[in-house]
Amino acid sequence: MAMQLLLVISLALCGVGVVLPLIINERRIPSLLGILGVAISGGLLFFSGAALFGGAAFRATLWTIPPLVTLTLELDKLSALFLFVSGLVLLPASIFASGHLDAYLNRYSLRAFCVSYFSLFATLILIPLSADVVSFLMLWELMSILLYLIVGYEHEVEEHARSAYVMFAIGEAGTLLIAFAFIVLAANGSLEFAALKAAGGSLGDGARWAVFLLAFIGFSVKAGLIPVNFWLPRAYTSAPLPFVPVLAGATLNLGLYGIVRLDGDLLRVTAPGPGLVVLIIGSVTALLGILYATTQSDLKTLLAHSSIENAGIIATALGAGFVFVGSGHPSIAAIAFAAAFYHMLNHSIYKSLLFVATGAVDSNVGTRNIDRLGGLIKAMPLTAGFFLIGALSIAALPPFNGFVSEWLTLQTMLLSAGMASTGIKIVFAICGAILALTAALAVTCFVKAFAMSFLGMPRSESAGNARRANSSAILPMAFLGVLCFVLGVAPTYVIPVLDGAIGPLAQQARAADALIPPFFVGNPHHRELPASFVADFHTLGAQLGQSVLPGRGLVVMHRGGANNPVVFAMSTSYMAAVLPLMLLGVFVVFRLIVVRGRAVERRAVWDGGIRRLLPEMTYTGTGFSNPVRVIFEAVFRPTTVEDTRETVGKHFRAVIRRTRGENHVLDRLLLNPISDAALWVANGFARMHHGVLNAYVFYGLGALIAALLVARFS
Amino acid sequence: MSQWVISGLRTGIKSTRYPRVKEIAPGTAPGLPGATPLPADRAQAIAALCPTGALDAAHGGVNVDLRRCVNCFRCARDTDWPMNWDYNYECAAAPGNGNSHVSRLGPAFSRSAHILVVDAGDCGACLNEVKQLNNPYYNMHRLGFFFTPTPRHADLLLVVGALTEHMRVPLRKAYDAMPGPKRVIAVGTCALSGGVFGRTFACAGGVKDLLPVDVEVAGNPPPPLAILHGLLVAVGRKPPGSLRRALRDTENGAS
Amino acid sequence: MAAVLHELAEHAEVRWTGRVRPTLNGAPDADCQLQCEASDLPEICNWLFSERHYSFGGLVVEQRQRWELRYLFYGEGKEGWVHVVTYLPESGERIPSIAKLVHAADWHEREAEDAFGLVFEGHPRLGDFVLHNDVWHEGVAPMRRAFDGSRPVTHREPDLNWKPRRIVEEAGAFAMPVGPLYSVATAPVYFQLETVGEDVIRAQPRLFYAYRGLEKIAEGRRAEDVLLIAERISATSAFAHSLAFCQAVERLSDVEVPERASSLRIFLAELERLRHHVAAIEGICESTGLTVAAAQAGILQEDLLRISGRLTGHRYLFGLNAFGGLAMELTDAACASAANGVSDVAQRLATLQSMLSTSSSFLDRLEDVGDVSKSDAVDFGLVGPVARASGLARDLRKAQPYCGYEKIDFRIPQESEGDGYARLRVFFREAEQSARVVSNLARAIPPGPYRRPQVSLRPGAALGWVEAPNGAAMHWLRLGEAGRVDRYRIVTPSFANWHGFRLAAENFAFQDFPIILATFALSVHENDR
Repeated sequence: MAMQLLLVISLALCGVGVVLPLIINERRIPSLLGILGVAISGGLLFFSGAALFGGAAFRATLWTIPPLVTLTLELDKLSALFLFVSGLVLLPASIFASGHLDAYLNRYSLRAFCVSYFSLFATLILIPLSADVVSFLMLWELMSILLYLIVGYEHEVEEHARSAYVMFAIGEAGTLLIAFAFIVLAANGSLEFAALKAAGGSLGDGARWAVFLLAFIGFSVKAGLIPVNFWLPRAYTSAPLPFVPVLAGATLNLGLYGIVRLDGDLLRVTAPGPGLVVLIIGSVTALLGILYATTQSDLKTLLAHSSIENAGIIATALGAGFVFVGSGHPSIAAIAFAAAFYHMLNHSIYKSLLFVATGAVDSNVGTRNIDRLGGLIKAMPLTAGFFLIGALSIAALPPFNGFVSEWLTLQTMLLSAGMASTGIKIVFAICGAILALTAALAVTCFVKAFAMSFLGMPRSESAGNARRANSSAILPMAFLGVLCFVLGVAPTYVIPVLDGAIGPLAQQARAADALIPPFFVGNPHHRELPASFVADFHTLGAQLGQSVLPGRGLVVMHRGGANNPVVFAMSTSYMAAVLPLMLLGVFVVFRLIVVRGRAVERRAVWDGGIRRLLPEMTYTGTGFSNPVRVIFEAVFRPTTVEDTRETVGKHFRAVIRRTRGENHVLDRLLLNPISDAALWVANGFARMHHGVLNAYVFYGLGALIAALLVARFS
Repeated sequence: MSQWVISGLRTGIKSTRYPRVKEIAPGTAPGLPGATPLPADRAQAIAALCPTGALDAAHGGVNVDLRRCVNCFRCARDTDWPMNWDYNYECAAAPGNGNSHVSRLGPAFSRSAHILVVDAGDCGACLNEVKQLNNPYYNMHRLGFFFTPTPRHADLLLVVGALTEHMRVPLRKAYDAMPGPKRVIAVGTCALSGGVFGRTFACAGGVKDLLPVDVEVAGNPPPPLAILHGLLVAVGRKPPGSLRRALRDTENGAS
Repeated sequence: MAAVLHELAEHAEVRWTGRVRPTLNGAPDADCQLQCEASDLPEICNWLFSERHYSFGGLVVEQRQRWELRYLFYGEGKEGWVHVVTYLPESGERIPSIAKLVHAADWHEREAEDAFGLVFEGHPRLGDFVLHNDVWHEGVAPMRRAFDGSRPVTHREPDLNWKPRRIVEEAGAFAMPVGPLYSVATAPVYFQLETVGEDVIRAQPRLFYAYRGLEKIAEGRRAEDVLLIAERISATSAFAHSLAFCQAVERLSDVEVPERASSLRIFLAELERLRHHVAAIEGICESTGLTVAAAQAGILQEDLLRISGRLTGHRYLFGLNAFGGLAMELTDAACASAANGVSDVAQRLATLQSMLSTSSSFLDRLEDVGDVSKSDAVDFGLVGPVARASGLARDLRKAQPYCGYEKIDFRIPQESEGDGYARLRVFFREAEQSARVVSNLARAIPPGPYRRPQVSLRPGAALGWVEAPNGAAMHWLRLGEAGRVDRYRIVTPSFANWHGFRLAAENFAFQDFPIILATFALSVHENDR
């Protein structure tokens, strides 16, 4: 009952957020947005946290639309997880938004922003809760429209308007596919999710494939997977600064929610085939995403492509999970789903962190172009530090959260060794290799993003005159940064929480059972482990903390069964304890033995003896990532649009000017051919509209004759 | 790949055994003039032949200041009373204000020293001789000397050339970028006294105009063995010699 | 020989009637002087270069009662030397530039502008060449008579707003600085490599860090002392430059060098060429990282240095040339012993070449890397082995023989690809030819005096030229009274080849840059003087 109250209050506050901006002064809107946003997020966190951690659940039926459907809202742990993640993102994002709306004060309507923002907030809360087709599709459409409005907020810039339009158009196509999926699934009439779930078992193979693919492709539009994610980089780049963290952290997850709910929960996967499709698409998405991310010089676009990469990784893990469920290995599937959800959680946190940091840089320096930044670590130390945390997390380096989820994902790829079918194992091997390549490129990408933006010398005047970020950016970054760390060092506490969401997907198998062996003595399951095994791990200290900390243990470990006797284990908790000790030890040794009271002198950078080292003599981000561009030239296929050499006399060159153009590989292979084909068809039809009246009369006659013939012979 | 191994084995060991054994192969050390006893008028005549003033007639003969000798051979060929020729190449000096220990690096460096080579306006001879230190004949690695391209890793700064105006800033920056302890070795007559060029609008006439010089190696160019001796002096494995050949020294035996 | 030049002079008289005054100097070293007005200069020079296919040798600027600018052109064989001379009044400073038509004159005009303060109108890039403008004040013209070269000059305050001149405009382009101190034991030169990360788009070297002002300090000294300076222009070509200087003096004073001295001079010059090319090969092996081959080449270089030292008393052949012959006797036995050593070295060099030509990882770094086309080589006036690798095989030993080279039997190797491997092959083949000449000569040195005694120097001006190991070198010498040098102009082969270096370095990857640099075997000291 309290939960419903919280829900109602949150929605009511959203309503307040929609109505109040129309009344109050525009200058007050940023603070209104901040306060309301924090309040609603807080409510959301409590409410979904109660379900996720506490096991509360509810089901509420709203109006009935006979004979179609009864609108239903239901909260189970899967929805709770997604709501919780949204809350975690929206809390700092609202604080950030409230501090950075002033730039739009006299240019665009802040009222419109606030109204759209809270409406979207409401849909973000309601979509995971909706438990019938009609409300789901209506809320989904509402969300698409609101996203269009917000992403195209700076509508006076033509490019932004176009990006929003592209997003909306492909979003509608996706919604159409989702609707078709629901229609096929709801073949026997009832449109509530509970009924669909029951009916899911009786579909034929062809129908199962159709539902799966329609739903997958439809939802992968929002989730940012190929081949329908070409809107994502454009939209992220064009979206207004204060909104992008929400875009990346909350709305992307809705697509994943759709995939998981429809393909995993409502439609039980009974064969490995569909999962393999998801797996392959996921890994190729990840690789393409990171390739394009590495070669971008706009920070926002870089992060957008990186979101594509992360969505691909999540999809890979989901696909692996589907394959394992379909092949009858629910406990391994639980590990895969744990990896997927963990990565989704992590991605929301660190991507929001990175976007907030980028927003701070953009508003304080004035440019997002990496080739014009540099040296910001001196002017914006806190921003640099938090960006570094975000970069380390996304590059999957311990002790931050990205490491755990990436590690788990790669381990699930290896778990395929226990499968029976060789074909599946080959696909897993290839996708695992692609994922490993992606991970390496991700490190390159974020080394470039961090180093070129924050280290070195400022490459432009505006970078040299950067101001510090204000608290509306620092607070969210701190919150998210701490979360990155906590999620990274306490994986054994996060995984049992995710179990609730995994349950419906993996036939109630628990990831905690598969991944967290009970080392702590007080735990009732402690005696399940074989004694020799426990002895080995005790010598490694696996039981440290047993009387102090709750839970089963601090080691994430999986012991394969009889057919796959491989053990993999890691503990970022212990790592986070040992690492500082080691660093402290090194520091002490250095101070006592090496430095030993001697003065340390600081001298200028050695530059080869030139008079002065200038910023234009230092590497740019484009130069840093050029090797990637050259190696993967077959993918990029850059076109040099102009190559002019102005000369004064035959061999005296005044200027060498080169402009490099790039066409995204998906545009080249998919979008352009399809749009060309569509235009060709349309042109063909246009030829019929030539305005000659006689011909139109003939068309009418032809149609009449055809109708008569059909009526005659049917 | 194996062809290189076989050819290397066939070539055998070429390294000189200096400093354990004095190297006497012909052509390795062309030598420089030594102090020569001569009657006064002939001494004056010979001293006037020297284009850089390296010879001075005094005390019954001709003394030689090796810092200035440019190997023009006039005092050896253009005259009926040629100067004595001294093939001793171990004549690197350490001028360090009388305290020879200051000019040398400590014992930690005696078997491992990194050298930064700076060409401050050389004619190419000294630089080429320095580069020969790496060839199999001299193989300075066996003595623990290594070239490094960055002053951050360097212990010794080896300067050749007469210090042109354009090289003042780079040389100074290189010296400042070296962490202590560090020493400067000036190699070649140009680096010591400006050689045939002297002090002009374009040349400073020697490295000591800009940096404190700890070890001096004379010659035009000094053969690799002489440079090696200078390096050994700089790390304290050999005692410094003298760049002044005076008649009283010849009585005690050339150093 | 004079017939061709006669025809040329007549043609010039006809074409520029009244504005050109040709003077022909007779055999044995026939040359034609075309005196013309400054305004006709570009046309005449272009005619010689484009239509008559003369090579541009150099620009000699002299400040006498009036400014005398002498543009040197040389051809093949009977075409001889053509000096295009123009005068400017003492107060005049402006002269039309020929650099857009004869691009090889580009750097010569820039040097003259920095050194003398003359303005070459139409040249798009004057300034900051010899005298770096972050050290010297504007308008310091050290080669003018009024400038006292013996005293140091105060430097300017460094310009804190100075930025490098960049010509590449592309998103993400930057200018990577290399030098002046870079790598291990290299001569100082600064490169500003403009790039977007992989390929070097523009590679313009900034030279003259080792500028010692040799031309200035030679003025007023006795010729014997300037001979010492000539040796020390670039020690790796010391004998060649001192030979050019001596030939200028001998031509000026009409001294006939005895046959033995000429033969010994050729012997020593080829010995020096062999050693220089072995050092170049060592540099190329080192740059590609093939240290084993570099070590083998290093052994050969040291062997040659020791042979030189044992034969002459100096490893770099200093102090050997004198006016009228050599400064010391080299006995036949000593020469024969040296030639034996040289044959042994040549044999091992041939083995090294065959091993390198089968080392595919080594060849991969050199083939099709650092291309210079023949037309570019002609336009830029490249000389020496670099030019021969691009198909431009003009060698002063055959084109304008000196010192008795017309009697020597040897070949000039030529390649056409113009890439790094072609240059390496040219080095090997030229070394082989030099070794052959040395061995053959050692058996056949004519007897006689090694020096013409009692050479008396006459005032006047003359040109001495030599095919130095790096290419064509020209020394213009004007002696005044009492055998003192009035003007000494040194045109070195490295000056021409550094000018064209950027043709090879551009549009190749960063990693190839040091290798391309090594295949050119350029001497910074020879360029900087």
